Amino acid sequence: MESLSGLSLAVVLAALGLWVMVSRRNLVWKLLGLGVASGGSILFLVALSHRPGVRPPILGLGPGPAADPLPQALVLTAIVIRFATLALALALVILLTEHRHTQDSRRLEEEE
Amino acid sequence: MNAALAGILAYFGLGFLGIVFGKGRETAALAILAGLVSLGLWAPGFPEEVVGGPPWGIAVAGDFWALGIWGLALFLHAATLLHAWPKDQLRHALITLLVGTCLAGGISRDLFNLYVVLELSSLLSVILIAYEGRSAAVWAALRYLFLAGLGMTFYLFGLGLVYGRTGLLSLSALAQVETGDMASRIGAGFLLAGAATKTGVFLLGLWLPKAHGQAPTEVSLLLSGLVVKVGVVAIARLVEAFPLGPILLALGILTGFGGILYALRETDLKTMLGHHTVSQLGYMLLGLGVGAWEGTLMYAVAHGLFKGLLFLSAGEAVEKSGVRSIAELSGKIPRPAALGLALGSLAIVGLPPLAGFAAKGLLSLGQPLWVKTIFFSLSVGTAASFAKLIPLFRGQGTGRFGGIPLLDAGVLGLGILGLLLFPELLTLKAWAEAFSAAGLGVIAYLLLRARLPALPKLTLDHAFLAAVLTAVILGSLALVA
Repeated sequence: MESLSGLSLAVVLAALGLWVMVSRRNLVWKLLGLGVASGGSILFLVALSHRPGVRPPILGLGPGPAADPLPQALVLTAIVIRFATLALALALVILLTEHRHTQDSRRLEEEE
Repeated sequence: MNAALAGILAYFGLGFLGIVFGKGRETAALAILAGLVSLGLWAPGFPEEVVGGPPWGIAVAGDFWALGIWGLALFLHAATLLHAWPKDQLRHALITLLVGTCLAGGISRDLFNLYVVLELSSLLSVILIAYEGRSAAVWAALRYLFLAGLGMTFYLFGLGLVYGRTGLLSLSALAQVETGDMASRIGAGFLLAGAATKTGVFLLGLWLPKAHGQAPTEVSLLLSGLVVKVGVVAIARLVEAFPLGPILLALGILTGFGGILYALRETDLKTMLGHHTVSQLGYMLLGLGVGAWEGTLMYAVAHGLFKGLLFLSAGEAVEKSGVRSIAELSGKIPRPAALGLALGSLAIVGLPPLAGFAAKGLLSLGQPLWVKTIFFSLSVGTAASFAKLIPLFRGQGTGRFGGIPLLDAGVLGLGILGLLLFPELLTLKAWAEAFSAAGLGVIAYLLLRARLPALPKLTLDHAFLAAVLTAVILGSLALVA
């Protein structure tokens, strides 16, 4: 049950993020949308590795079946990549704001 | 396997050393040498092995895809280094890292490893596109980053679905097991949608023409020539593991003709070449869709060479004259660049004995008539949109050679090699077809040029919507199929 709610939360987060990306014109908002959507994909991977009645995959937590550690290891990498993507994108937004004095994606497209 | 891994490590290590010590040029040259040695050591290929050992290791294999990508990567890197030698050191170090990423993508057989490679190549490409800080380039780079990020979000969802169902990440292991259930099929659809967005399939790839067109010369060369091909390899690996053939056929036709439509109207030289990268991607997707693996790889390598040559010559012309539009460039192009443009255009249209002819011939060899018809009409469209470059083929005065002769030789050499290896291509019929496609294209251009309808301008929001819709459609198609 817990895992199911984790999965549905992940899908809801991704949908919310995508909606923000499509509907907002401001670049920073769009970036926030991307961050939330990719957060959803990361939660999805973590929630998938959870099965009812298992303990976290940490050594020394006692006996019993542990959750699959691989998705959690993958997620660490994905989080680092997300961080780099968002940081780079923000730097580019700052550059654009300095050059063009706007963060409105529609105005940026029109002025091209 | 060890030789290939050592080659990739050398690339990354030398790239970092280049950044730290500010000696990007020298380390790039060393990296190319190391790559060549490594390629020579593993050359005909190596069987699949798991780095780090089972069950958690990463599957790598030195198959013909890896061989083709490595050859192309090292050749293009050499041409880039030669051409951009006077440019600053940091740029060369970043380029070394980018090429190293592509080398890793060539041998990877692991879903998650491919994700890391694709993301890393996007990040490095974005930095290099925006490197000179012109606002048009920064905006193009940001759009690229947005769409690549969105695509990779889909990819992770697909990866989760496939891994949750099968517990496997290795693509060759996935090819062995039954992946017919609903979750894996939706997962495969999402994986493809993600990889397609990143690679630049039509409508999802709206970031591509501007990004490739606005990038500095040597970066355009690497993006169109190499980085796109890593996406193609990722899609090829997905097709080997999941039944995605018919979907790729549809995407290929859409991409091929969509790219040509936009290229016909485009007046900016480099952006037009970018639209053509999209359209040429259509050939490769079609090839993967009908299962012509060798032909697709040949096409990918040939396209890397002639599109690299076109971007290098176009970039040289634009840098020298300071104007970007095709009409204004006429008569302002130095001779080496004009020769490169002419040779590249003839190759992309598919005239013998250049690389494009051999690749197109190999791709349609033994295919049913309807596939050949699609390829033929794509060639006519390509010729029609390249017809407007004809006034640029006459050069004025001397100019820099840079890496242009190397790529000239590559385009010619690969074409002749293809003809020698596949004597089926030496028939009168094949040559007549190639020339008639080119002729028809030029005639079509002359007839249509005044009546081209205006196409809708495609913005970032359109691309987002297209990406979301494609993911949904591919996911639900998987349900029906």
